[in-house]
Amino acid sequence: MSHLEKLLGELQTRKLQNQTRRHFLLDCVSKVGGLALAPLLFGCDLGKSNSVPKGLQLSERDLNPLAPIPAPFLAKAKSIIYLHMAGAPSQLELFDFKPELAKLHDQDCPESLLEGRKFAFIRGVPKMLGPQAQFSQHGESGAWVSDFLPHFSKVVDEVAFLKAMHTDQFNHGPAQLFMQTGSPRLGRPSLGSWVTYGLGTENQNLPGFVVLTSGGKTPDAGKSVWGSGFLPSVYQGVQCRSKGDPVLYLEDPKGMSRNLKKQVISAINQANQEDFENFGDPEILARINQYEMAYRMQIEVPEVMNINDEPEHIHQLYGTKPGEESFANNCLLARKLVEKGVRVVQLYDWGWDTHGTDHDGSIDMGLRNKCREIDRPMTALLIDLKQRGLLEETLVVWGGEFGRTPMQENREGKVQGFKGRDHHVDAFTMWIAGGGVKKGMSYGITDDFGFSGLEERTSVHDLHATILHLMGFDHEKFTYEFQGRPFRLTDVHGELIRSVIA
Amino acid sequence: MLSFILPLLGRLHPLLVHLPIGFLIFGIILVFFPLKDFKNQVPFIRLAFLLGGISAALSSASGFLQYQHEGFGWETVQFHFYFGLATTAFSFWIFFYLKGKESIIPAIKYQAAGLSILLLLTGHLGGNITHGEEYLTEVLPPEIQSFLGREISENQGLVLPEQGWENLAYFEQVIQPILNSNCKSCHNPRNSKGELDLSSWEGVQKGGENGAIFHLVNWKESGLYSRLVLPLEDEDHMPPKEKRQPKKEEIELIRLWLEKGASPTLTLGQAQPELKILDPFFLREEIPFYPEIQPSLASEDSISFAKAKGFYVEPVFFGSAFLKVSCINFPEFTDADLKSLMGIRENIAYLDLSGTQGTEEILPSLAQFPNLTILKFNQMEIDGKNLEILSANSNLKWLYLNGTSIQFEQLDKLLQIPKLEKVFAFDTPLSQGAITKKYPFSLETGGFQLPKIPSDTIVY
Repeated sequence: MSHLEKLLGELQTRKLQNQTRRHFLLDCVSKVGGLALAPLLFGCDLGKSNSVPKGLQLSERDLNPLAPIPAPFLAKAKSIIYLHMAGAPSQLELFDFKPELAKLHDQDCPESLLEGRKFAFIRGVPKMLGPQAQFSQHGESGAWVSDFLPHFSKVVDEVAFLKAMHTDQFNHGPAQLFMQTGSPRLGRPSLGSWVTYGLGTENQNLPGFVVLTSGGKTPDAGKSVWGSGFLPSVYQGVQCRSKGDPVLYLEDPKGMSRNLKKQVISAINQANQEDFENFGDPEILARINQYEMAYRMQIEVPEVMNINDEPEHIHQLYGTKPGEESFANNCLLARKLVEKGVRVVQLYDWGWDTHGTDHDGSIDMGLRNKCREIDRPMTALLIDLKQRGLLEETLVVWGGEFGRTPMQENREGKVQGFKGRDHHVDAFTMWIAGGGVKKGMSYGITDDFGFSGLEERTSVHDLHATILHLMGFDHEKFTYEFQGRPFRLTDVHGELIRSVIA
Repeated sequence: MLSFILPLLGRLHPLLVHLPIGFLIFGIILVFFPLKDFKNQVPFIRLAFLLGGISAALSSASGFLQYQHEGFGWETVQFHFYFGLATTAFSFWIFFYLKGKESIIPAIKYQAAGLSILLLLTGHLGGNITHGEEYLTEVLPPEIQSFLGREISENQGLVLPEQGWENLAYFEQVIQPILNSNCKSCHNPRNSKGELDLSSWEGVQKGGENGAIFHLVNWKESGLYSRLVLPLEDEDHMPPKEKRQPKKEEIELIRLWLEKGASPTLTLGQAQPELKILDPFFLREEIPFYPEIQPSLASEDSISFAKAKGFYVEPVFFGSAFLKVSCINFPEFTDADLKSLMGIRENIAYLDLSGTQGTEEILPSLAQFPNLTILKFNQMEIDGKNLEILSANSNLKWLYLNGTSIQFEQLDKLLQIPKLEKVFAFDTPLSQGAITKKYPFSLETGGFQLPKIPSDTIVY
């Protein structure tokens, strides 16, 4: 009994200690001042509302930062699936067919290509490296695709290739940041965060922006590639694991029933609600909402992240093996998430950095194996979205952070044991497909070696501007005020790539 | 030294003009509605017309000074001026006419009525000068505007044809439309601020009070370009920062024209502009996806009502009257819940009932949703027996029936839906076999496979 008294006494002391001058003043303002102001502000409505003070203009966003808001313009797509091949795949073995380069194979690289340029690893005069794949034309559009992607070559009529992409960062980390946040330095919100901030999410039981990784490694740039930068952190990507629990600590701990947890959360929320009625701070409401959302997600996330219930023909289509961490499983999950109304899904697949330093990093062998891991799943993703009518409303983006050189890499001036290519910023290929994208299109022309874009060059900012356009934004108007100036995803750059918009 | 006096007096004109308006209207009111308590009101009325006349004379004088010292053309102000003088004279006339009269005889009423018409005309013509002739008409609905004979497209700015733009005259057909939509309202023959007229080649060539506005050698110094690219806050920036600013591509086109020699005979093709600066001006006829005739905006109350029920409700884009409604957070939806949407039924263009408890019984109620364009019935208990009811939805374009039990025979019922473009019926009885019958809409039954190929298993 004395323990209880002690506790109560402690409670009393703490309570008094917490009653600061600030509380007194606040109570004066909100109670005495409020009484005087009430008839002026609220008229006869006073007392009708029991939770939110009437004078407080609270938007849905104040209570729930992920509440959906309409896009400024009619969007062609409502969701994005972004497939990022971390490490940068070689465009010269996949999409950019250069027969002239084959003729120069093993010859010294012309001086004109090297003048005034810096490469990540190439030093001195390297040898040229001809295409290591067999190319042929596919589909009605006649798109060139190599034998590294035999399945994908059947769906080329669904996509638009950007063959003269260029960037200005030749190291993975900065280049990935640039590709995902529009700036090679840390601190900017990612594309997915911008979109989630601008549109919110339709399904209130799931995060708005989900990230899945495969290939055994996360991107070099770390989690900042799906970070929220200066946007509120609620808009950052939620990384889910494709193996085991999708989100750690989501399962109920042993001995803790779901019901008990529900009671705990409602007790916390009740306390918060009382606090809100005292102080009227909308942050408290946001907090209450987040507790509730977290609880709802606990039920929905394991369900949507479970691919076991998919029918066998879908597993065969994607080549999925439940329980593994694989790009195939992630592709299937991406489809499920988009179907459930998730706004942005990003898949990072590591293992594309083919320098030729070992077997796995070789252009002619390792790259083939790597391509096999993605060829069926990404093709399956496109046709599965198509057969469900989801491709009409979903934008699919595929690409690395840069391209690879037409030259054989000569790290430390030595000949490599395997065929490999160095990082290359001047020309690489990406493709986009789905909502609002012209089908069977190829945009951008590179020179005979695939070294530089000649015509229809497109920058990372141009791609961002186009993605935002398809999602219903004007990239020049979509800003966020930070450190005294409005920021955009495309900063002061970016031109819409109109030719690939349907 | 006192040379500023006259322009200053001139500038007082917009202030002074309100005095005669007030005095004279007061006098006119007294003529028609005499005060009951006074026997003889003529002295008061005379005073009103005297003061009105004096202030009208001062207004006319200040107006004339303003005309002399500011850049107004005589054609612009002449009728305003004449009517102003007439108003002045007529006010004094009534003042003298009333002398010795003891009551208001009908003739005075006619005169007062005449004066009020003069006053109205003078004021209106003055307003036209300061606010522009379209000040009142441009806010009218387009139908009334075209009835009044006003050309609406005049200021729509530059529009280029996608084919054959090379042959356009660079100045006449590109630069002039840009100037018309961005500069002409302040720089035209009637209202030539800075003594500059940008409504014709002659005016552009002549320049303004600071001389020529383009230089052929130092084209970057041309006022026609340099003022556009000054910071917005700079007081020499044009157009003034409170006015609509030109597009960056419009500035690019002006820059290119100056760079290529600013010749009136140059064609757009000769200047070799980059396609991307022309692109925003190409006339593209876009067929709107949602119905062209928009309903009025849905009321906040009925939207909140539907949201409170659990529906996802948002405009298809910001400010649009069309709504997207989905049951993504409301899987418990049953047919009876549709009545919560009746308040916004005309606004719903996108309705997603996928995965709910809804049944085919809902179709007759959906006939009351005239603007439905996208309709999703995925994973619902629907076998398609009553699908012909959807023919009432004359705007329906995309119909999703994935995971339903729709039968092949029922597809013909969809032929009655006039605008139907796409039908998705993946994972239905239709997916079992190939459908050879041709429909006016595209039919997706899915069931794609990627057959195994040898290279799937070769490890290099």
